[in-house]
Parts: sequence; structure tokens; C-alpha cells
Amino acid sequence: MPGISRWRRASRRLVPVLAAGGLLAAAACTTGDGAEPGGDGGPVRVSVWAWYPEFAGVVEAFNASHTDVQVDWTNVGTGPDQYAKLKTAFEAGTGAPDVAMVEFQQIPTFVVLDALADMGQYGANEDEHLYAEWAWSQATDGDAVHAIPVDGGPMALMYRKDLFEQHQIPVPTTWAEYAEAAVKIKAADPNAYVASFGSDGGWINGLMWQAGCRPYGYSPAEGRERVTIALTGPECRKVFDLHGDLVQRGLMAQDPFFTADATAALDSGKYWTWAAAGWTPGYVAGSLTRTAGRWAVAPMPQWTAGGDEQGDWGGSTFTVTKQAKNPGAATTVARELFGTSEAAWDVGLNKAFLHPLVTDVAADPAFIGKSHDFFGGQKVNEIFVPVSEKLGDFQFTPFQDFVFGELNDRSAEAMAGERPWSTVLEETQKNVVAHAEQQGFTVTQ
Amino acid sequence: MTRALPIAPPEPSGRAPRRSSRRATAHPLAGALFVLPFFLVVVAFLVVPLGFAFWLSLSSKSLARGTRFSGVDNYVRAFTDPLLLDGVVRVVLFGVVQIPIMLGVALAGALAIDAVGTRFARVYRLVAFTPYAVPAVLGALMWGFLYSRTFGVFADVPVLFGGQPVDFFSSSLLLVSLGNIVTWAWTGYNTIVLYSALQGVPRETCEAAVIDGASPVQIALRVKVPAIRRAVSLAAIFSVIGTVQFFTEPYVMARFAPQISAGYTPNLYAYNQAFAYSNFHYSAAISFTLGFVVFVVAHVFVVVSRRRGAAS
Amino acid sequence: MTTTTGSRRRSGEPSSRLAHALMAAGVLYFVLPLVWIVIAATKSQPDLLSSPALWFGREFSLIDNVRRLFREDGGVYGRWLANTALYSGVSAAGATLLAALAGYGLARFSFWGKRFFETALLGMIMVPATALVLPTYLILSKTGIVNTVWAVVLPSLLSPFGTYLVRVHVTESVPVELIDAARVDRAGELRIFLQIVVPLMRPAIVTVFLVTLVATWNNYFLPLVVLSDADLYPLTVGLTTWFNTAQQEAGTRQLFDLVITGSLLAVVPLVAAFVLLQRFWRSGAGSGALK
Repeated sequence: MPGISRWRRASRRLVPVLAAGGLLAAAACTTGDGAEPGGDGGPVRVSVWAWYPEFAGVVEAFNASHTDVQVDWTNVGTGPDQYAKLKTAFEAGTGAPDVAMVEFQQIPTFVVLDALADMGQYGANEDEHLYAEWAWSQATDGDAVHAIPVDGGPMALMYRKDLFEQHQIPVPTTWAEYAEAAVKIKAADPNAYVASFGSDGGWINGLMWQAGCRPYGYSPAEGRERVTIALTGPECRKVFDLHGDLVQRGLMAQDPFFTADATAALDSGKYWTWAAAGWTPGYVAGSLTRTAGRWAVAPMPQWTAGGDEQGDWGGSTFTVTKQAKNPGAATTVARELFGTSEAAWDVGLNKAFLHPLVTDVAADPAFIGKSHDFFGGQKVNEIFVPVSEKLGDFQFTPFQDFVFGELNDRSAEAMAGERPWSTVLEETQKNVVAHAEQQGFTVTQ
Repeated sequence: MTRALPIAPPEPSGRAPRRSSRRATAHPLAGALFVLPFFLVVVAFLVVPLGFAFWLSLSSKSLARGTRFSGVDNYVRAFTDPLLLDGVVRVVLFGVVQIPIMLGVALAGALAIDAVGTRFARVYRLVAFTPYAVPAVLGALMWGFLYSRTFGVFADVPVLFGGQPVDFFSSSLLLVSLGNIVTWAWTGYNTIVLYSALQGVPRETCEAAVIDGASPVQIALRVKVPAIRRAVSLAAIFSVIGTVQFFTEPYVMARFAPQISAGYTPNLYAYNQAFAYSNFHYSAAISFTLGFVVFVVAHVFVVVSRRRGAAS
Repeated sequence: MTTTTGSRRRSGEPSSRLAHALMAAGVLYFVLPLVWIVIAATKSQPDLLSSPALWFGREFSLIDNVRRLFREDGGVYGRWLANTALYSGVSAAGATLLAALAGYGLARFSFWGKRFFETALLGMIMVPATALVLPTYLILSKTGIVNTVWAVVLPSLLSPFGTYLVRVHVTESVPVELIDAARVDRAGELRIFLQIVVPLMRPAIVTVFLVTLVATWNNYFLPLVVLSDADLYPLTVGLTTWFNTAQQEAGTRQLFDLVITGSLLAVVPLVAAFVLLQRFWRSGAGSGALK
């Protein structure tokens, strides 16, 4: 299935990070330029679709701090389910909400569907300084603001500290060392694997990003019909060479991520590492109970010793749809649901475990300095936050669902032995180019 | 699997031959009025949507260039789309294996119930039928749990004998796992249909065979099965229709087994084209082609079985 | 619909034993997932993940699960249950009424276009439901009834199979003579239908009602596409939404146990309806007996 969303986090069990006191500079009680009261004199009501955990608290905080705009929130489904509804609504010309949660990789898709309003017209460019550079760049196109970033998924390597120490395996700093560690892990425990190759489009994309592979290029402002697809370059290829080799040698398992079985396997010592993301602490802390405290986080292994290439897996934004009845008020909602709202981030960080893309929030000592019991008291955000700051430019295609679906499906074929690993990217490239041309794009390869 | 429901068709061998009853003497308008409400619903929710889908399928809307009339392009594309054809092959393979197994079990069950007629047979009939009342989505979810190593029953069975656990979601077993879900859900339903048909087999036929010294198994195979041939073939055709539309089980199972690809079945492909890739026009063409294929296959089947019924 | 009511034959011992062995194996197969879900519904989430699948966990949590089920997300499960009952009840009643009227009209009257319509009826049965959902959505959205009760109920009124079934049944079990006699007595057509025909075709009506009830109760695709308000969801869509959330949050938000308990409660009413209506259903499926 294409577009299975990789936007996950959870657990209510961690203690609050943000103390009650004023950690955030500005309280978000102002409303944006476009907000006008409703026709009957009451507040403007803005409908929002989103599937963040614990989102009710965020909505409550917004509604409590705003008098002229009020949010009506619906959770119509997770990731692909919600996108399916959005796309149907745009095809039908009616039925879309005013504001919709959209992941980064989906923004160009909705832009090309002409589904998103330009928030730049309602003053959203003022917010540029608030957000991590890479995130703002993905959310905007020139002066057109398609989305307001919320959270991201800077990647790092989660590993079983206890087992690595027990068997005296050095924590890999390069991918070559990672492959060596995989051999040692197998030798230490024949039933264990270095990790699982989840055949997950978003995750694979994160690995490619981290390898310096920039396979897509798209900017509607420069050319709505022009798209670049270059999946077969050496930077992209080496990711598949390495992981395909590990899978073939039986050193890497082949279980999908995010199923109950995968969780059980992580908790059972079957996998010793997981190339995970900034939202992982919240995600794993609640679900892995047996191995809690025995994990640690290290920076991603590098492709060249001493390198500092980073990648991102997951992350989301708020967009204003073209069907919004009052785009000005909707922009206010998109900017301020999280934005710099202290109350919202209190929920977002402490209950929903988002990795904030508001630089001030991410840089807050209370966030960076929080020690995680799950990781044996390690302050893991000291690793994740710098990664997020270092992430360079990365673009997505306006049909990313298809690309992720292809990466997912072709990798699954390779794992099933139905195709050589070396052909995964070529076949994906071929199918994606064909799809793009079918859709009327001029493709640069 | 969403399926129209076959109910035992009238067997041609029945003792009350169907009369053609064209003797109605009422006001002609009365009959039309009886049919009118249904007719309106047919127009609103079948004819108009189908027409609309057809109209959609004749144009293309590309993401970059907008909508334009494209004639049969979408259909040409459908017949040459390797991803779609992959799904077609898979579904055909699935049907060729699953339908005979399901109908075989159903037939055996129906014959058993018919032969013994004990209280246990009644229990069996009821139990076998129960999965029909379980929504396909929930049935697939239940089996998904049952297949899983964490929640399930079966995966670790070989471990008891020193083997490796079974991965029901692996690419090699996936189709079998799906086939089992469908078989579980629909065998009982088909059992009831075939059993009802068996009840229509005239007693005298069987009694004659008993006098000839035929064993119960022989009677079942030589007398009863041929007598309900039409019911079996109708059940088969409805199973084929269901298989061509195969959607719900793989759709749900993809959450357990991500290797269920976008084009795993043709209907799933049509769904993904529309709802994931925004290719509503191409999706309409695929759906329309599928519907057409089903229609033709079913029609040929009905015509052929009627001819053979008339000949025998 | 068959033309004779068969009587059961008791057969010789060996084959009877064979038959019973076959059926015993079948019962195990069909009942196993249901046994599993009943047992699983008595477990808390930690028990679900750690205890043997076909045996009870450390604690008996069924009551607690049910209580939490009806409290989660502001008690939305209760709404889903009520919605499902409403959608399937109204759709089944409506579809049955339309099918009864039309089936009778086709079987016992002649009018212009009838033959064509009858031929088309068989074709209609074979139209894949999924092919209709998308265009139906696009059309409904123009009329503004998307995301309302009507968007589910109105398309569900369509049951060509029901009409076909009634038509066959009437042809076989409602004697023309009876209707002619009533006409001679100058009874109105509607009165003939209600007082003479309906009682005669009760088995077919019950069958059509059950079939359409099940079809709507179990429908997933249509409500998935036409509804976007969680308060309007039926059980199938609601429970899958929860399941996705449960996967997404990997069991940290305790939802797997609720999905399982919720599925059990969603299945119980239909199974009960079938057990209770078994007699009618059978006589419907296998009827044709001229009473």
C-alpha cells in the first residue's frame, strides 16, 4: 500500500518537560490579519482535520486563548485515510475542512492538486524566523506559504546499550562499522538481527536523505510541469547496496515496522538497533516495557568517517485549503494552533511527544536537557535537536505517495527474492518517470 | 469481499415446472407503479453513477495539465498497465485455487447435513453460517490478529515441534492467508445455498438409487450432486464475481503486511489510483473494465449453463 | 425457491460417521476465530500481548473492557452502534419494501419495457459495488448530502438482488388464480398486494430483509468514502479507525483491547438475529413451498 504514514509517537507516561513557568517568549493570544468575526457577530468557526495524539488539549488551548476564532476539530483518520478524504473532497469541489494536517512529503501533492491556499497573502511570511530552515523551505515556495511546520523526525540510531556493552561491540559511527556490528550481533545471538528492513517508503527516504541522496526536485513557482527524478545516483544506490546485502546475508530481518509483532520483536532482543527519528522517544517509551532503560541513542552512522550528513523521517504541518470559507481566519488557526503557544506545546511535547520545529521550543533547555528513563537517563534530544538544525534542503515530488508506494513495493519484492536488490531503484525510477509523464510532467532524470 | 448473494436457484428438475404467467389482467399502469420506486433508485444510484463513471473514464486529468478528453486512452492504458495486469494474474490464481476449495468444502458440508439430518447437522449448519454475519473488515482484522505472532495462535505451532515460526504475512504465504479468510467467511454461506438446493432434489430419485443398492456416498456423488449442478454453478459464478472485486481483505491486511502492494488486486489498484494518486479518471476506467469483464463472464456462464441445462 | 421440500434421509452407519467427522472438523474451523475473539475480549491489553492466545489472561477484564469501550473518545462507540443499527435498519426496511413492490410488479404484471428491465436486473446484480461508490460520492457531493445519514442510507436502498429474489418467489408461490379471483371481487391492486400477496411471500421478504440488513451492517467502503464526521461512522469504519490509531501508537494508547471487544460486540447482534430468525431464513432460502 502506498503512503502508509510514518507519523507516529505516543505515550502519556513521561513526566512533563516544560515546567508551567514562562518558557516561551510570546503567548499566542493575538489573531492574524485576516480574522474577521462571523456574520452573526459570533466568532469565526474554522474546521480542522488532524490526527495528532492528544490534540483535544491543543484545540482547547487555542479556543481558550482566542475569542474571535474558534476551532472545530475532527479526526477523520490517520495519514493515508485522511489524504484519501481530502483528495476526494477536492475532486468533488466540496467537503474539505478549512485547515488540514499534512505531512511534509505530501505538500507538493496538494499544491499541484491546487488544493492549498497561499497563506503568504495573509501574513504567514512573518513566521519564517520561527522555524527550522529546512522545514520552512519545504513548506513554502518563494513567497507562497503552503504550510506551517509543526513537528519533524530528525533521525538517529537507537541501540541496545546493554547488549552492545555486554558483547563489547563498538557503537557504529559509520555504515561500514554498522555492517561489521551486524556480523558480531549474529555471532553473539543467532536469533538476533542488527535491525529490520521495514520496506517503509518514508523510512527508506530518510536513509537516502541521510546518505546525501537528493532524488527529487520540484518547484511549482519555477515550473509547474517540471519535475526532477534521479533515484539511481550513487548516493541513493549505496543505501540499497548496504541494506540489501545485510538482508541477503540474513543479518537484517524483514519485518514491517509499527505492527504489534514489530513492537514485540523490538522488546524481545530480536533487533539490537533501529534507525529511528525524533519522535521515537515517545513512541517506544510507552510500548517497550521489558527493555525500557536498556536503550540508548547515537548519531546516525556516517557514510564517510567523520562526516555529518543527516536525514529526516516524518513530520507534519498545517495547511489551509482552497475550500476554506475564511482563509484569513484559517491562516490564523494554522499559525497559532501550535506556533508559539506555550499551552499547546505543553501538550505537544509532554503528551503527544512531538519533535518541535519551532527553533525556540526545540532549543529550550527544558526540552534538550530532559533525561529519558527509557534511554537509561540519556538526554537524547541533545542528539536529535542538532540533527534537525543541520538538515539541509530536501524536496519532494508532487506524487510522493506513488514514489513511497513504489519504494515500498519494489523493496518488498527484493526481500521476497523476486528481484535483485540492485534493480529496486532502477525499477522505481522507471515506474515513477512513467507515472510522472502520464501525469503530464516534463521529467528531468 | 463484497458479494451479491446467491440463493438457491430453482432447479430445472423440480416437480412444479415454472409457468410463464403473462395472464395479468390488471391495468398496465398498476404494474409500472409497483416497479416505479425501485426503478427510481436504480436510476439514481446505479444508472447515473455508472454513466458518470463512464463519462469520467473518457477523459484524463493529469496533475500538471488539467482535464482533457482522451477517448479510449484510459482503457488502452489499463490493458497495458503491468501493475494492473500483475494484480489480474494474482486474482486469477487466487480464484483458481480458492473457489474450488471453498465450494468443495461447502458441497461436502451440504451433502453431510443432507445425509444425516441430526441435531449435530443443525449445529454445523448454524456454526458454518455464522462467519457470514461477521463484517468482512472485522473478519480480516480478527484473522490478522490470529496470524500475528504476538496475538495469535498458529504462528508458533511449528516451534512446538522444533521448527521455525510461520510468518503468515510473508510474501510467499500471503495469498494463502487471504484465501483462508475468504474461505472462512463464505463457505458456510455457500453450504446453506447448496443445502437448500439439495432439499429440492426429489425423494424418489434417491429412493430409486437406494433400491438399486447404491451406497450413501454413491448416491451423494452420482445422484445428488448432478441434481444440484445449477446451484453449484451459480454459487461458482457469484464466487468469481466476488473474487474479481477482491478488495476488503487485502485492504485491511495491508496494515499487517505492508508488502501488499498498491496493485495487489485490480480493485485495490482502482482504489489507490483514485484515493491515493488522485487519478479518478483512470480509476473509473479500471472499475468500468472490471465491471464489464464480470458482466461478460457471468453472462457467458449463465447462457452456457442454460444451454447445457436445456440439453440434458 | 426450490420446488420440493426435501425430507431428510438417515443413512447407513459408516457414511454417517464420515459425515459427522467432516462436520466436527468444520465446526472447529468456523468457530475458532470466534472463540478467540470471545476469549481475547476478556483480556486487558498487557494480557493480550503476553498470555496464550486461546486461554484466559491473569485477570478477567471483559467488564472493564466494555466499560472503557463505551467511554473512549467521549463514548463514541455507543454512537457507532446506534448509527449502524439505524443505517442498516432503515436501509433494509426500505430496500425490502422496494424489492417487494418491484418484484411483485415484475412477476405478475406486464407493461412496456418490462422484459428489458428484467434482463437488465441480472446485469445489475453483477455490477461491482466498488465501481459505484466513487461516482456516487461525486454525485452526492453536488447535492450536499455527503457526510449525512442520507449518504449511507439512500445508496443502500438499491438491491437488485432482492427484487430478483422476490420476483422468482412470487412467480413460483403466488398463484395467478388467487389474484384474478380477488380482482373479480373488485379488490384494489394495493389491497391485493398487502392482504394476499405479502403474506404469501413472507419467506422471501424475511430473506431480502436479512440479506440487505447484513449488507448494510457490514458495509465498509461506502461509509468510509461518504462520511467524514466520526459521530456518523458505523462500527466497521469506526473500529478500523481505532485499529489504525492503535497501530500508529503501537499499543501505548490502549486500543487493541478495545478494538477486539468492540468487534465482538459488533458481531453479536447479527449473529443473534440469525440464530433467532434461522427458521425464516431457511424457509426463505429454500422456500417455494406452496402453502
